[in-house]
Amino acid sequence: MSSEAAPQSKQTGRPSLFRRYENLTVLAIFVGFVVIIVILQLFLTGGTKFPTFISPVNLLNILQQVGVPGIVAVGMTIVMISGGIDLSVGMLASLVSIITALGISKWQLGVVPAVLLGIFSAVVLETIMGFIISRTKVEPFIITLGGMITFQGIALLLCNSREVIMNGELDFLKTNLIQGIKDPVSHLNLIIPPYVLIFFIIALFGGLLLGYTRYGRRIYAVGTNPQAAYLAGIDVKNMKLSAYVIMGVLVGIGAVMLLARINTGIITLGQGLEIDSIAMVVIGGTALKGGKGNILGTLIGVFFLGSIGNAMNMLRLPSEVQFVAKGLVVIIAVSAGDVSNRISGFLSRRKELRWHAEQRAKKERVSNRLTSPNQNETNRT
Amino acid sequence: MIAKSERTPPKRERVHFMSEILRLSNISKTFPGVVALQNISFDLNEGEVHCLCGENGAGKSTLIKILSGAYHPDEGAEISFEGKPVVLNPHLAMSLGIQTIYQEHVVFETLSVMENIFAGAEIVKRGFLQKAEMRRQTLGVLKYLKSGLSPDAKMGDLSSSGQKIVEIAKGLIFKRRVIILDEPTASLSSVEIENLLDIIETIKNSGLGIIYISHHLEEVFKIGDRVTVLRDGRKVSQHEMAGLTKTTLIRDMVGRDPSTFYQREKVSIGGAVFEARAVTGNGARDISFTLSRGEILGIAGMAGSGRSELMNVLFGSAPLDSGEILINGKVVKHSTPEKAIRNKMCFITEDRQNTGLFLPQTIARNVTIANLVNTREFVVHSRDDARIGDKFVKQLAIKTPNSQTRAVELSGGNQQKVVLAKWFNTNGEIFIFDEPTLGIDVGSKQEIYKVMVDLLKQGKAIIMVSSDMPEVISMSDRVLVMKNGEKMAELRGDEISEENILINSIGDKTI
Repeated sequence: MSSEAAPQSKQTGRPSLFRRYENLTVLAIFVGFVVIIVILQLFLTGGTKFPTFISPVNLLNILQQVGVPGIVAVGMTIVMISGGIDLSVGMLASLVSIITALGISKWQLGVVPAVLLGIFSAVVLETIMGFIISRTKVEPFIITLGGMITFQGIALLLCNSREVIMNGELDFLKTNLIQGIKDPVSHLNLIIPPYVLIFFIIALFGGLLLGYTRYGRRIYAVGTNPQAAYLAGIDVKNMKLSAYVIMGVLVGIGAVMLLARINTGIITLGQGLEIDSIAMVVIGGTALKGGKGNILGTLIGVFFLGSIGNAMNMLRLPSEVQFVAKGLVVIIAVSAGDVSNRISGFLSRRKELRWHAEQRAKKERVSNRLTSPNQNETNRT
Repeated sequence: MIAKSERTPPKRERVHFMSEILRLSNISKTFPGVVALQNISFDLNEGEVHCLCGENGAGKSTLIKILSGAYHPDEGAEISFEGKPVVLNPHLAMSLGIQTIYQEHVVFETLSVMENIFAGAEIVKRGFLQKAEMRRQTLGVLKYLKSGLSPDAKMGDLSSSGQKIVEIAKGLIFKRRVIILDEPTASLSSVEIENLLDIIETIKNSGLGIIYISHHLEEVFKIGDRVTVLRDGRKVSQHEMAGLTKTTLIRDMVGRDPSTFYQREKVSIGGAVFEARAVTGNGARDISFTLSRGEILGIAGMAGSGRSELMNVLFGSAPLDSGEILINGKVVKHSTPEKAIRNKMCFITEDRQNTGLFLPQTIARNVTIANLVNTREFVVHSRDDARIGDKFVKQLAIKTPNSQTRAVELSGGNQQKVVLAKWFNTNGEIFIFDEPTLGIDVGSKQEIYKVMVDLLKQGKAIIMVSSDMPEVISMSDRVLVMKNGEKMAELRGDEISEENILINSIGDKTI
């Protein structure tokens, strides 16, 4: 073994603002987006109307749309920080909704047992996948892809490829928690259904879990460096497994909320949920390779992605454009962090180089003066 | 179909033999804080096996990397190839025909033998691969080497020796001039070693120059024509093999002045705290020793002698097949690092970047992670992390403003201090240091030695694996020497000398 020099990565100076607060980049882009939409609206209406995009009723509307994907995104954040990913959440949500709907309308289990059965089955299925992922070296991408296809099949088998219609047994989940309050701008009724509240509670719990508990520390450690984590006394396998168990619970809850909104158990219910939730999480700055990210970032991602479609509607743009916009936002938000790091790195390097050059120039000036004072004088004149 | 192969190793006329291929003079290489090579000269002739000997860290690998163009030597170096001065870079080294076969194979495991040989230099006619031609040449060379390998075998399915043979075959097909073999026989069985040495003998006769690096002196004596001995980056001697004795060679490899070593403060040794009884597993076989409070047990041996593997068994990160581990006289069964940490053990691994640190995370997070095992509370506060982190930053003089710096931004020595802090924070009693000062500058080395002595003063015990001979000798109270996973000797007091350690680690008791 040769005596090799350790890598000497020196970081001179203070890290940039964007590097110190990791959510700042995406927050800045989000705020910029909102400002642009508001300005556009003001421009289009000639400044006569309050921009509907930021009216309370619309903001609550956005919340209703992102509530369920948001719940799943919290779980996805934990899974991705632990170094995994879960592609199966969409189909799993469909499966849970069909099981719950069948439990209520066909098997006559009663509402609460049927809901519990749905959530329980999500937990069991996620646990199985988590078990395989944590005990083998197979990529979570592949296992959960397989899970996605399998769940779709099970769901279709259970409902004979038909939809399962209920009689509004879950409507209590749609009740308005702030009955009677009106929007001061549009004078429409303001609505906060329970699942929006549940989303916030879950996000709060997720944030506390990741940021302030022993469990959270370990999830980050496992995602950053599983080998070092194992040698630091962390049960890496069970930590990974636990992330998927939590995911199961959250997908179960999310699926029941979706079912309550639509009142029908159907295979298309969870379609695209995996794409949306992963997009929200990565917009929020969580790294696909694990170990980096937080719930606050995910929240920004959730609101950001949710407000794109809404804003497009406000501007009366066709829905096809929404996909383009959503895709671009994902790309911009994720690469912006890297770009801002590069810029600040470049600036600090340039500062350093300039400093070195100045030092060298100073030295040269001194030595010039010592060796050839005459020449120096002639230069001056 | 093989007979007419024009690419099979040519039979050169003897006339060209013994003409010089390579000459290096005045080769130095310094890394920040470390002088790896100093004024080395070296030359290689056609049809010759020139061996490089020296302990771990003598500078052999650095010299190879210079030859393969991976490192540039410091200014003043002169390298000439067949009489012409050259400045080597990886591309030029390749086109001149210098091929290095490393200890760890760099191969395409999912491709066949033939595809591996011709990777990047496929024979192509009008854009189509000439598979028949490539197979013909591969078969021709493999036959010349008397190897039964099939050109279609998957590289990943071959044994280590098979992969070496394929790499040698590649050297022959592309008419390399110099083949460098770095510890080619490590992890080979004795039959495979014989086979490989025969092949080297064969290709030598086809006019190549071979640089052979090994710490197995028997091999050096068997196939070498000349030997150059390095020690601490300096060239000690160069001998013709004929008439050379093993004793002379070993004398050359050791022979530092012990008074220049680090002078460690001695600490009074207390009662036994750790014991291994016939520990077997993960490549280690039947290892027994005891360790007392205030004592450093050095573990010496050549690279690949199973030292780190043994440490992993002791720490529970590799399975213990048989034997017992006792802590404070009680048999403990720790099947995971988690249990080992509860039993007050600490493991400072050799590869701190990959197994010791969470590089993108802050010092505070790195320092507090291992002690989570001993934490009862479910809720942890970042403020406490920062307080603990800052305490260690101060205590161990980690060069950074505070513990919110990310580990990746620190230098090697400071990173090692973060790893130490991580374990100090668990209040461990039994410390395993695997290569504690690998790749660390001299100043930080001394600081780490001081920290180790401080641990002893607190009544803790240390097992230290090290390939740095002065480190082993100056720091250890006792030295356990390993070879091939077995304990060869336990040296104490005056027995601890470079010569004793080296003789035992190469396992040659005939001297």
